[in-house]
Amino acid sequence: MTAPVIAAGGGRAALRRNFWRGVWRVLKRKPSRMVGMVIVLGFAFMGVFGPMFYPDPLPRDTAALYAPPSWEHPFGTDFEGTDVLALLVTGSRYVLLTALVTAVITVVVGAAIGLFAGFRRGRWDTVLMRITDMKLTIPGLPLLLVLSTIWKFTSALEMGLVLGLLGWGGVARAVRSQTLSLRERGFIEAARGLGLSTTHIIGRELLPSMAPFVAMNMLIAVTGAVYAQVGLFFLGVLPFEANNWGVMLNLAVFGGGAMSSPAALPYLMAPLLAILLLTLGIVLVVDAMDEIFNPRLREE
Amino acid sequence: MTMFARRLAGHLARGLVMVLVVTTVSFFVIRSVPGDPMAARYEKLVEQGMSPTAAQRAVEVLYGFAPTGSLWQQYVDYMSGLLRLDLGQSLMVPGVGVSTVLFSAAKWTVLPVLAGTLLSFLIGVVMGVYAAIRRSGRLGDVLAISGSLLHGVPQYVLALLLGAVFTTLIPILPTSGTADIMFEPGFNAGYIGSLIEYATLPVLTYALASYGGWILAMKSSVVTVLGDDFILAAELRGIKRGIVFRYVARNAILPLFTILALSLGMLFGGAIFIERIFNYPGLGLMLIDGINNRDYALMGGAFLLITVAIVVANIVADLFYSVIDPRVRSGEGAR
Repeated sequence: MTAPVIAAGGGRAALRRNFWRGVWRVLKRKPSRMVGMVIVLGFAFMGVFGPMFYPDPLPRDTAALYAPPSWEHPFGTDFEGTDVLALLVTGSRYVLLTALVTAVITVVVGAAIGLFAGFRRGRWDTVLMRITDMKLTIPGLPLLLVLSTIWKFTSALEMGLVLGLLGWGGVARAVRSQTLSLRERGFIEAARGLGLSTTHIIGRELLPSMAPFVAMNMLIAVTGAVYAQVGLFFLGVLPFEANNWGVMLNLAVFGGGAMSSPAALPYLMAPLLAILLLTLGIVLVVDAMDEIFNPRLREE
Repeated sequence: MTMFARRLAGHLARGLVMVLVVTTVSFFVIRSVPGDPMAARYEKLVEQGMSPTAAQRAVEVLYGFAPTGSLWQQYVDYMSGLLRLDLGQSLMVPGVGVSTVLFSAAKWTVLPVLAGTLLSFLIGVVMGVYAAIRRSGRLGDVLAISGSLLHGVPQYVLALLLGAVFTTLIPILPTSGTADIMFEPGFNAGYIGSLIEYATLPVLTYALASYGGWILAMKSSVVTVLGDDFILAAELRGIKRGIVFRYVARNAILPLFTILALSLGMLFGGAIFIERIFNYPGLGLMLIDGINNRDYALMGGAFLLITVAIVVANIVADLFYSVIDPRVRSGEGAR
């Protein structure tokens, strides 16, 4: 996921090759980072190809409602006798697609606003940052809840769009402060002295130096988006049209009574473990990226 | 002092604008919600054979008011009501003002949030210092990774896990409510004990959810201070390690107070999941109930109160920081 961002900013081929060699070295040094990469790639694989392994209406086994975990059903079955693992895998596409859309929008809008405000400074900066501050202050989840009464977030794309448009505030602020410090450096001064256009300076000089930072923010935005939408479905304020992890959580707790009887417990645990694993993977990858992009942190 | 007053005035003005924007937006968003419970009631009564005027009267009696006039007129009414702290009538609890409903719910949010946050702050800060000092050792690694993980996992996952363990697998803690109905509410040992028992899971979840953030913040703050010149100077002068450590801790903790005030505000928003899972009747649960019942007034009121809490927390954080850290007061260094 990070590769396109970096490659687009990287420029020359040799630089890119060196970069990938550096990535490989950092990954190799600590096994935990490899684990993180494997987990994240595994989830990506599950989202893209997972649903293909199952028939479209999932088979129901009405003789085994809330069946306990077994070889046939590793996480048991739900209230209709559908295999929970199958639900988890088919539900992952919606969750991960939304997360991807959200992350892209968050990062593109946030970076654009941050770069523009930081580079132009002056009046534009003041206005944009006031808006950003306001966005950051408005509580996100309650706002989403109120919005969910008018929007129905029917498709994953729509959901991602709304989450992305609500989430760019933090990225904008961070990118702006990076821009403010970068624009005073020599190479930007030189570019300005050469009379290069603003778009050139921002696109070719500023953005590449910030790409790693932006990529990291994008990964963090992915987790944020997963939590937000799973949470919304879990709370039950959105209509259950698609099968996804949040719907599973909601049905397990408020339908199956997983908080009082152990029957629905495996049904509850499957999506929880998936979220925990995804978080772990992303935390480990971000940790590795931190070291790739901040050479000062490296302990040789 | 005038400096302080000017700062305060600026913050208050900005906060008021913020609240004005939020109320305006929420007013119009909420009015555009499809499915009006009062209209539905009215139509049902007419269908049952009541005359339109009688049905209108019946609905007004039931809910205490009826939205009349243009949208603009309603907006002006709403805003002028707001100045008197009158948020309108709740539809879910007929005859009771929204502000009354909300203020009675607020205590169930404020107390657990406060308890959980302070608990995690104390533990997290101490652990953060260890994580910073031992950052190249195994203990530091474990602390840092556990911090990142707990910081990364959403509150509802923690709440559900704790709930599954302590109410389903080992049923030792209650699943919902604020106290056992067996006890008379009041200042008696049984009721207070029951309050604490019922609050254990929500408080524990708040604490665990914010603990990771404290470790990470304190660790990076301590690492920064450790590199400062005055620490090096103190070490070179041969001052005892314990005293050097006091220098470090005192300087490193300053930025954390800002985050403390901010996170207290933010937790009002996050309390929604915990209150829903443990069925704890605070502001978050009110907001969800309001949404599920299409209770405009309650929805708007709960959202407004959560926003005001965050705005106030922001102001307090900034002012507090300028009081405890003299370096901020002198210049524009705070930005």
